[in-house]
Amino acid sequence: MECLTRMGDGTPVKMTKEQIKAEIEAGTKDAAHRAHVPELNSNEIEYLMEIVSDPSRIVSVVPGKEAVVTHDVGPLKVMADQSNSGVSIPCSREQAMCIYERAFASDTTELGHIDYSFKPVKPIITQEQSVLQNVNLITTIPVFYGAMPNLGLYYAPDGPFVEPIALIKEGKMSEAKVNMEKAAHQFVEDLEYITTRLYAVGLDGLNIDTTAAAGDADFWGTLMAVEKLKKSCPYLSIEMGMAGEFIFGFHTELEYDGTRLAGLFPHQQVKLAEKAGVDIFGPVVNTKPSKAFAWNVSRAVTMVKQCVKDSKIPIHVNMGMGVGGIPMYETPPIDAVTRANKAMVEIAGVDGL
Amino acid sequence: MQKSPVNANLALAKLPILGLERIMIYSHVKSTIELQKNCKRRKIMSSTKPLEELKDAILNYDVDGAKKAAEKCLAANIDPAKALNEASNAMKKLGELFDCGEAFLPQVVVAGDAMKAASGILLKKLSTKPTKTGKVVIGTVEGDVHDVGKGIVSVMLDAAGFEVIDIGRDVPTKTFVEKVKELKPNIVGCSALLTVTRLRQRDIIDALKKEGLRDKVKILVGGGATTGVWAEEIGADAWGEDAPDAVRKAKQVLGLPE
Repeated sequence: MECLTRMGDGTPVKMTKEQIKAEIEAGTKDAAHRAHVPELNSNEIEYLMEIVSDPSRIVSVVPGKEAVVTHDVGPLKVMADQSNSGVSIPCSREQAMCIYERAFASDTTELGHIDYSFKPVKPIITQEQSVLQNVNLITTIPVFYGAMPNLGLYYAPDGPFVEPIALIKEGKMSEAKVNMEKAAHQFVEDLEYITTRLYAVGLDGLNIDTTAAAGDADFWGTLMAVEKLKKSCPYLSIEMGMAGEFIFGFHTELEYDGTRLAGLFPHQQVKLAEKAGVDIFGPVVNTKPSKAFAWNVSRAVTMVKQCVKDSKIPIHVNMGMGVGGIPMYETPPIDAVTRANKAMVEIAGVDGL
Repeated sequence: MQKSPVNANLALAKLPILGLERIMIYSHVKSTIELQKNCKRRKIMSSTKPLEELKDAILNYDVDGAKKAAEKCLAANIDPAKALNEASNAMKKLGELFDCGEAFLPQVVVAGDAMKAASGILLKKLSTKPTKTGKVVIGTVEGDVHDVGKGIVSVMLDAAGFEVIDIGRDVPTKTFVEKVKELKPNIVGCSALLTVTRLRQRDIIDALKKEGLRDKVKILVGGGATTGVWAEEIGADAWGEDAPDAVRKAKQVLGLPE
């Protein structure tokens, strides 16, 4: 009997249960090989096969396994247009955040700037303070402020430092490293500037999203910033969401607490996040569009399961377009989204999504 | 049944059920089961055989070592073509290590330098000069400032022997067209991270068609928001899923051996 499932790009595909199982086995092997983590055991593989091959349009967790649901990208998914995976509802950020609280029954909401990077927030911090203050007056839900470290904005032509990949290409490795370190230090300074001001008007939490998108220096700067923020904003909850499954090595020599950052996988990343003072960790496992959904979800669950096991802090896995086993498609198909989420909660054991 | 020009393995059939536009026939996607057999851990070797020494030098990012190994190959009367092939295999292996998070960008650059240094010595003794790998103009499309991925692809193409002209990020469509006219590349690489900016990849292809240049160049698209289906939809010649795949596809579209 054939089941209707998906490829990693969202294309529907019919597969037999045996084919699905073979994909799941291959996916978990790939994760184990790359991240040096154990494969899923036979019971987990069987259960994942049941989830993937379930004939229902959507699936859900069994009662008692409900998980916390938070959102990134602030209110932009409500306000932004469809090309940005939003629904383009004309409303203010305050209204969009109320929709998260009252219509979506979300467990947290997030304020964010349209650019969704921290650097551009610095010159408009008073506006962000003002919106946050308004949101705090009309909501009871925990409010995060979210954006990306996006170290790329610190390099020319957007920032004062020389673009390191250009330097690497020219063989100027030392100069590239110096520029990456300078950018990371500037980010630490900017994030502290922004966060302390938002904290002063009642910020509950900070979501540092897509950490390490610009490689190991991006991760390094974020860890240093968290360390500082835990001192200057002691009651602030800090969530660190990652950009990819392993840390790209552009600098390659940066270390945190004696551990080299380049090449770390989720279960290794979370240990450093914990040491820095992060309260919630959001691992990412990338979806391969050319592979089957079963392969992708199995691979993602395998890596995240080890991350959950090794972590002392809550794990809120990133589940969205192109991550966590979910297909790489603007509006990810709901059948795949619900199956991936169920698998993450029931097999990987995540605390939140 | 249609055959995708992007990936011949992906045969798509239109089935008018469940309101789904098309359902892929799984049996045509054999590659899905492939394991990452090639992604073995890198071992630092210390071989005394010149060919292995050459491969090891490249995999250990040792420019001087690669030069010495190339000279040793010639002194041992090893066919320079065979030695070049070994060096090329080392670069392919490095791509696989990069894909597994076990080799990093600066190392790819230095390994590329080691490869070039060895090739320089070996090519002088080669009776038949190989044709150039190809010229690639690469850029991130207009409205998109994300160039980390494009930078990685650019470095890896360079290390694989392509002549790479990186025209930067947030590049207007007309600039892509102008560069094709001016530089006459074999391949144009267009990167887009966002779903909103990937539309510019289609604009570039349309603009090249309008100028009568489309058939003169191969179009390689990539970036976080792209997929094989998207590449097929807009009429690109190939889609690079990640940096090593982009290098493979660049070779494929030019009919070069991997």
